[in-house]
Amino acid sequence: MNILNLEYDKYKLNNGLEVILHQNDNHPLVSVNIWYKAGSSNERKGKTGIAHLFEHMMFQGSLNVPKEMHFRYIQEAGGTLNGSTNFDRTNYYEKVPSNFLELILWLESDRMGLLLPSLTQEKLNNQIDVVRNERLERYDNQPYGLAWETLINNLYPKDHPYSWPTIGYVADINSYTLKDVKDFFKTYYAPSNACLTIAGNFDKKIAGELVDKYFGDLKNSKIPAEIVIPPVDLKENIIITRKENVQLERIYLAWASEKAFDPFDSSLDFLGDILSGSKNARLYKNLVYDKELAQDISAYQFSGKYAGHFMIVATAKPGGSLSTLKDEIFRELENVSEKGVTSREIFRSKNGIKSSFIYSMQNVESLADQLNYYNFYCGEPNSFNADLTRYENVTNEDIKECVNKYLKNNYVELRISPSNGNED
Amino acid sequence: MKKSERSKMPLPSSELKFTLPDVDTFKLANALDVIFVKRNSLPILRLNLIINGGSNTDPVGKKGLANLFSMMIDEGAGGYNGLELMDEFDILGSNFDISCNNDGLYLGLRTLKENADRSIDLFSKIITDPHFDEISFAREKRKLITRLMQLKDDPEEIASSVFEYTVFGKEDPYAFTAMGKEEDISNITVEDIKNFYRNYFVPNNAALIAVGNITKEELTDKLNKYLHKWAPKILNIDKYKCKTKESPGIYIIHKDESVQSEIRIGHLSEKRDKRDIFPSTLLNNILGGQFSSRINLNLREDKGYTYGAFSRFNYFKDNAIFYVSTSAGIENTGKAVAEIIKELNLIKEGVTEKELDFAKSSTIRKFPSNFETNRQVAYNLTTKYLYNLPDDYYDTYIDKIRNVSINEVNKAALDHIHPEKLTILIVGDKNKLIPQLKEISKDKITELDYLGKEVSVI
Repeated sequence: MNILNLEYDKYKLNNGLEVILHQNDNHPLVSVNIWYKAGSSNERKGKTGIAHLFEHMMFQGSLNVPKEMHFRYIQEAGGTLNGSTNFDRTNYYEKVPSNFLELILWLESDRMGLLLPSLTQEKLNNQIDVVRNERLERYDNQPYGLAWETLINNLYPKDHPYSWPTIGYVADINSYTLKDVKDFFKTYYAPSNACLTIAGNFDKKIAGELVDKYFGDLKNSKIPAEIVIPPVDLKENIIITRKENVQLERIYLAWASEKAFDPFDSSLDFLGDILSGSKNARLYKNLVYDKELAQDISAYQFSGKYAGHFMIVATAKPGGSLSTLKDEIFRELENVSEKGVTSREIFRSKNGIKSSFIYSMQNVESLADQLNYYNFYCGEPNSFNADLTRYENVTNEDIKECVNKYLKNNYVELRISPSNGNED
Repeated sequence: MKKSERSKMPLPSSELKFTLPDVDTFKLANALDVIFVKRNSLPILRLNLIINGGSNTDPVGKKGLANLFSMMIDEGAGGYNGLELMDEFDILGSNFDISCNNDGLYLGLRTLKENADRSIDLFSKIITDPHFDEISFAREKRKLITRLMQLKDDPEEIASSVFEYTVFGKEDPYAFTAMGKEEDISNITVEDIKNFYRNYFVPNNAALIAVGNITKEELTDKLNKYLHKWAPKILNIDKYKCKTKESPGIYIIHKDESVQSEIRIGHLSEKRDKRDIFPSTLLNNILGGQFSSRINLNLREDKGYTYGAFSRFNYFKDNAIFYVSTSAGIENTGKAVAEIIKELNLIKEGVTEKELDFAKSSTIRKFPSNFETNRQVAYNLTTKYLYNLPDDYYDTYIDKIRNVSINEVNKAALDHIHPEKLTILIVGDKNKLIPQLKEISKDKITELDYLGKEVSVI
């Protein structure tokens, strides 16, 4: 489709920094979005959470930017900013009125090149406290909040970088020294390990000159070695039961599957949608709507750079039984594997994907991030159409085959039940 | 580049050119107000229907009615059952959504331009011809009761809902969350749902906001075609009767062995149309409205007690509250509460010119980005409609902010921040909380259950 075909310039500076420029003059805003090829996959056991903790340190000022001023300068310009870390990468992004582009390039280049002189023990101690609170707020103090880390911990082998949570374990977070943080910076935070995307309302020539001016003289460093990924191969089913302070029982099922953009990645996305993505989705309709055995259900494919897994999560109604839910889920998977799905179901998923692509084009910040996403995983930022084609090509046979190939294998099962309730 | 060049913050390149979207307001033959903004940059369209009357209309003994109504309205309409109806939307790649809060019901439609006609047809069926059948009603009711039960697991939800219940004084219409009370839900009948539809769901008690790629003629034709059956009525709606009764004090809700506490601190405030909205906006921006505000810089970036701490004036249509919210490691809760109270006292001593300049600059310069997506434009028009803001509200917004004086902000702090009558509510392990709270205050501590009922006084 024409509107999904984005024009862009992509080039590399001498120091290895990748630059993507996409002009979009709908609104007087510009978004700057940087992906560093550093995520929690680059950590090792016993030293988890440093990629994310490091993301926090990037907001603490740099050589020419005093503490707290990174936020202040951008908010004073009417901008918004944030960053996020996952298994594969860390991103930093800002959206500002377009006349403040230079401010952002100054701030981003200062912390890309000149963060270390301003790092102090005091800042590190403070952000370790903040991250510990973040972990409490988002995981430990949330109902079922530790399920994700339990699942990946059991699904992926012990030395697989997806086997620990990106936020890290508390003991590891507490252990970090200034030296650890500085070493992490030196290894991963270099122009040659990053991609800078600018999307929105700007003059290409001026933006190019500003990028040169601020990033051109930053020092390159050695590209970090590729990490070695052990294969994921569950020898048997792993069943875990937990008692927690929750009202309702919940079951999680996780199967190892494929990494992002592998042949069945899109079929597994559709499978998730067909099972639980709408009111008429098979498991939702059967278990939540018709039989009222479940309060909610979701099925989805998670895929990253190094691996992926397919997950189904269902919460039982009060008095309901997790074993019954599990039986129903497996019966439906068997059904899909034998008879496949209807053309209407595939058509529904395709149209949902297509329209959500178009709706997402409204926000220049999500555009910039998506360009970086495609560049990171596919090597080509303008992949909206190619990605859509990937989904449009999914057939009924593909969906049957992805079930046969992955969802008949061994799996991890986690059951969480109320600490004061009865066993199922 | 030279080191000296990098040491200076770059200045903005030029003044920004930003023009607000043109808003066209008109009435359909059935008295429905239509607020329309044409935006052609993408082939998409959004419609939002606002119904005046949300959970603030719930009768005593039937708290949760409006929300249950919102769960029922898309469970079958105009010849389709609930499943068929959603399938029709999904097959088009259109999204229908509905939400309910204290002041209203909000029906939303997002569609591609090529499917606008069919989508508006379906959207209109929900508005004009919902079924409200008994079987769906029983199912949605069971779903809601289970949902209410699940909320007991969520400390943030418990803190917010019991805080509002306590500050509004247990009887005011705003004392209850939209989801209502478990014990009331079973009293609600399908007849109540139908009555709600008859009383509130009428075109002269609603507004339709349309933003996107369509001409006014096309839009009007479609709305007339599909909504003509929807007839106006003489409204018989009770006015809000204020029953607020504040009982400031310290309240805790026990959550066994919790590693973190949820904190809400605040009081009643003045409703939006009776106040100095622009000075109040800037005041809150300085105090706790964003990352760089006093409260967050103190509690997060200086002390490390929390992942984030914020304050806000929460304006309902007919009332308002002010509160600070955060969560803190259980062992730092007493200190975090003390710091928040300190900040509330401190702001009354006045803000600095520098702080005010910062607040103005961030508010003014951020303004254009509030109109980027169709959803944002529709949201702003909803706010304007709901609070009955003047027609030139957005046109004059930047000037009004720019002209606020430091005296006005300082007066707003004196008028609207009341550290002497705070309701302090904390969800966490009482055994760890009580000693810390005793250290910062000699006041009695009241323990509440997760519904806000008193358990004991400590």
